[in-house]
Amino acid sequence: MRRLDGASKGGGVGFADAGASNPVTEMSETTLAPAPVEVQKGWGGQSVRRKEDKRLLQGEGVFVDDVKRHGMGYLHFVRSPYAHAHITRVDVSAAEAIDGVYGTLTGEEVAALTDPFFQISSAPGANIKDFSLAVGKVRFVGEPVVAVVAETRELARDASELVEVDYEPLPALVDARKAQEPDAPVLHDDADGNLMWTGLYSWGDLDSAFAEADRVVEIPELHFHRFNSTPLECDGALVEYNRGVGQWTIHTNNQFPGFAAIMMGPAMKVGLDKLRFVTQDIGGGFGNKITSHPQLVVCCLLARKLNRPVQWTEWRTDFHLSMSHGNERWFHDTEVAVKDDGTLLGFRTKALDDAGAWLRYEPLGGVIWAQVTPGMYRWRHIELDFTQVATNKAPVSPNRGYSRMQHLWFTERVIDIVARELGLDPVEVRKKNYIRAEDMPYETPNGCVYDSGDYAGMLDLALELIDWGSIPGKKAAARERGKLLGVGIGSTLDSGTNNFGQSRLINPELQFSGNNEVATVKLDIFGEIVVTLGTTPQGQGHETTAAQVVADILNCSVDDVHVRAGHDSYWNSHAGFSGTYASQFAVTGLSAVKGATEMLAAEIKKLAGAVFGGVPPEGLELADGGVRIKESPDAFLPFMACGAIINANNAGLPEDLDVTLNCRYVYRPPFEVPDVEKKFGNLTLTYATQIHVAVVEVDPETGAYEIVDYAAVDDCGKRINPQIVEGQVMGATAQALGAAVHETYEYDEDGNLLTPNFYDYHVPHALDMPPLATGALESPSPFTPLGTKGMGEGGGAGIHAVCAAIQDATGAIVTDSHNPYQRVWRLLQEASA
Amino acid sequence: MLLREVEYAKPGSVAEALELLASNDGARALAGGQTLINVMKARAASPDMLVDLNGLDELKGIELAGDGTLTIGAMTTYSELMGSAEAKARPILGEVCATIADVQVRNRGTIGGNVCSNDPTNHLPPLMVAVGARMTIAGAGGEREVPAEEFFLGVYLTAAGPGELLTRISIPAGKKDGFAAVTLGADGTCIANAAASVNGAVRVAIGCVDAVPVLVTANSTEGVADAVRGANLMPPSDVHASSEYRTHLAEVLATRAAEEAAGR
Amino acid sequence: MDVTVAVNGTTYERDVEPRKLLIHLLRDDLDLTGSHVGCDTGNCGACSVILDGVLVKSCMLLAVQANGASIETVEGLSEDGELTPLQQAFNEHHALQCGYCTPGMLMSATALLRENPSPSEDEIKKALQGNICRCTGYWNIVEAVKSVADA
Repeated sequence: MRRLDGASKGGGVGFADAGASNPVTEMSETTLAPAPVEVQKGWGGQSVRRKEDKRLLQGEGVFVDDVKRHGMGYLHFVRSPYAHAHITRVDVSAAEAIDGVYGTLTGEEVAALTDPFFQISSAPGANIKDFSLAVGKVRFVGEPVVAVVAETRELARDASELVEVDYEPLPALVDARKAQEPDAPVLHDDADGNLMWTGLYSWGDLDSAFAEADRVVEIPELHFHRFNSTPLECDGALVEYNRGVGQWTIHTNNQFPGFAAIMMGPAMKVGLDKLRFVTQDIGGGFGNKITSHPQLVVCCLLARKLNRPVQWTEWRTDFHLSMSHGNERWFHDTEVAVKDDGTLLGFRTKALDDAGAWLRYEPLGGVIWAQVTPGMYRWRHIELDFTQVATNKAPVSPNRGYSRMQHLWFTERVIDIVARELGLDPVEVRKKNYIRAEDMPYETPNGCVYDSGDYAGMLDLALELIDWGSIPGKKAAARERGKLLGVGIGSTLDSGTNNFGQSRLINPELQFSGNNEVATVKLDIFGEIVVTLGTTPQGQGHETTAAQVVADILNCSVDDVHVRAGHDSYWNSHAGFSGTYASQFAVTGLSAVKGATEMLAAEIKKLAGAVFGGVPPEGLELADGGVRIKESPDAFLPFMACGAIINANNAGLPEDLDVTLNCRYVYRPPFEVPDVEKKFGNLTLTYATQIHVAVVEVDPETGAYEIVDYAAVDDCGKRINPQIVEGQVMGATAQALGAAVHETYEYDEDGNLLTPNFYDYHVPHALDMPPLATGALESPSPFTPLGTKGMGEGGGAGIHAVCAAIQDATGAIVTDSHNPYQRVWRLLQEASA
Repeated sequence: MLLREVEYAKPGSVAEALELLASNDGARALAGGQTLINVMKARAASPDMLVDLNGLDELKGIELAGDGTLTIGAMTTYSELMGSAEAKARPILGEVCATIADVQVRNRGTIGGNVCSNDPTNHLPPLMVAVGARMTIAGAGGEREVPAEEFFLGVYLTAAGPGELLTRISIPAGKKDGFAAVTLGADGTCIANAAASVNGAVRVAIGCVDAVPVLVTANSTEGVADAVRGANLMPPSDVHASSEYRTHLAEVLATRAAEEAAGR
Repeated sequence: MDVTVAVNGTTYERDVEPRKLLIHLLRDDLDLTGSHVGCDTGNCGACSVILDGVLVKSCMLLAVQANGASIETVEGLSEDGELTPLQQAFNEHHALQCGYCTPGMLMSATALLRENPSPSEDEIKKALQGNICRCTGYWNIVEAVKSVADA
């Protein structure tokens, strides 16, 4: 591993002084104004060792399956063996007769006890009826049909085989391109067809762009494949029902409790306060743990029905069959208006998105791509016709890079295919068309604002890391050995901190907008600094980075800051959008922490000022675990004293002293509701950048290939903890490489998933990883309190880079995001034909 | 993930193991468990009884005879074989075992288990055929020896029938061997593989293309590709490879394995 | 069936069904939840433990097969909450993010280092091939093990 100007190990450097702020360019309807970025010396910017590690390294983490309750019942789902079928009979009596089986739940019961889940979509998707168990029909292999709860795991599994379900199979629809044909099987009669949502996005003046073009590059079909991030821990829950107060405690690993609550409450016809979510350690999320709410509803209903805690463990095959596949998307009939010198003027395309059987978080994918409408490029004339259809496959929901990744892959493919067509160097075409550092903040054709970044500079850094000059020699040497060497660039963005107002572009009647996150910071009786977050970290180091921010403001050590692990609704430290998803913690979570800590710091000073007999706040400073008068530092009140006074010894304090030392802050990013008519407005607050380069070596006889070298350059603004940032850059890279080469959810024509477990769905291991060189830039965001940007999803850079490298090696145009050896071999056959 | 109910027996001798297997219809031998337990987790097969062969010294051990013949106990693990000084007499054995799965699997998985499960993507069936191994099968009537070419009968099906056990494998002396594979990830499951042995003529056994390894012979490495084409392979299609691609790989890998063997 | 097993030095006796997997004995019956389940085909290695000195995946052993055996799990690596050099190296090199694969990684690394105190980078990767991680991409894990190897 090589690092360039990257994560510092051990000793800190404070905030790196990288990237001068860019001049503010004129902006239109958005109201963003650059916020002052405070440069602090101290914990921020240091690669502080993680607080989380001590427990995790000793096997003392608490993951959901580690939680036990006396008398709990284990739940097993009976799942559909058919991709599409009517359910004609369900009989649980044989299962329930078994000694040790506590009970069951059927679709019929669910339909009686709950309302269908709220649909984000406008018509026709709005009309589908989504319950937490299949009602009347099954629509994908693996869909939960009945739930069985028993004394042991094995018994629940055994009993599920005694549940009798009769099906009348129907033809299955597995190709989204056929979903709207007249004879296509229809999944949802309520929607009157398989079309779930469609919308036309159009900005600029395409006619003039195509008129001005020297030529139009046509790309008939591009395909982004279906896969996901397969977090090592699958979904799960242990649900307890408190009958006396009618409240459920849901121990789970759902990573977006705000969303789960909004979906579950109305369906279960209960207020949201009846749903207490508790998470501690989560074994990876990557977006794939956002839509477990149907299974959680089943657990809740059974906990109430059976009057005992209900435990659900999702096994790997269950996860692959039924949980959160990434959006599969075609781009048809793409036309790109270009000048002969490689200037890109605009494009039009038809995006067809395969949502699978249900819209669980969809069709938000139909607008979220628009956060990065032009990709990294300056073209202004863009038209995208987005259609989302249902098919008899697992429901789609966010997967790392969610919807932006698919679109960015598309733009990168366009760049490389245009470059090839024009006989130009893909590096030059990129540099010619990249949005420039001096253009930042840059308003895109649809009103999003890229906050900062230096794409050309990062590309140069990446090329340096890969030793670009040595590539021709390496290609020649490879040819000597009978191999084909190829190099490819993948440039991409990680847009973070959503404006949920973009949901109105999908459905104007939705009442969502903006975003928020909450933190509390308090001084306890003995002066302990205690922080609670609203987030649900799955390895991103929230406890550590939050402590760094707090320690800098209170001028204490990170070791003095105790951040509670995980999430608990009871802490009242959450808001509507709380959770950990969409690359935002460094902005939303840490800004909430900053706000709460600043409130606390101000209160400490107010209290001390009063205790010292009327010293104004400017005359005080926080240091050495307390607060003192600047001019006479011997006048010192330790935090312990502050906490004790307010909590236990407050007689005699001034009546108007407004101090609790228990501060709750809600961070609200500055957003407006987008213009629904024009589909215009700022949809995301920050844009992290990734530019990767992959070198592949192809065995032309077999199509097998190896990634022999790799460089990844990342810019996510100010990095609170560079090591933690770099860790996620590497992880995202590994997942992208896995998806590029091996990982795919492929179905046969009957709707059977051919890769339902880790045996056939190959996830890369240590031997599969290429040598890696990393580099980092810091272009602070002018829009965030700490200059940070969200990061972590990685934008699929590895996929884009590998596609480009294979195209370079084989000379064939790569049109699919997934390139297993067989496909590469076919590309070689076509190229030589 | 969760097995069906099963009975478990731990015999103290091969004789006892054979007795248990013969007298219990749904009994299966449990060797390393690195395949069988997973099959049982998926409930794709659910034996009524598992007869645990672990701990039977009679099935362990690697002996090198004066004439270079290697005799390997069926319950020898991949790790044991890789670490065996005797087994280095035929280096290809340890080399191929080192590419199977991972350390944990190699520590429990056995040579006999790999061979008896005869999954078409396994490494050892084609290798045993190429090197001309002989399999010793014990049953009620005593022991018999079956050449590798006749041992593999179908997918998951070998000449070791109900009530019988593979006890040891004999491998003649030799060093001119080769193995080539295209795998799912580095050292992963084989998409296609071929094992070759040169002893005057060239023997190549191709895996992954049929229910059992397909043996072709040629006078020289140059003739291998033709020999493979002459075998008229019709491999199955699956998510990793179409029939056409697998056939092509078989040709390429057979030649490479043969060239490696000839080059030793 | 009765099973007697020593785990991290403590002897346990339980009566379990023959079909119970060793990983479930550890997690459910003995409350040793440090070893994890990440798959159902024996691929991911999150369940890795050391049994009679040999690294194995405990999801592919029946609990009854461990009768009389001596097992080491992640809970037995450190003493009195003091991190071992290997664990410290993981912390220093940021070799864990969500921590779910970490117990298995530690057991595999421990087994490697006992057999080969100075492994090369390739040997480390080979030793960790049976442990899947989705968070780190493995580079930091390999560096962490290497740092202890060189020490």
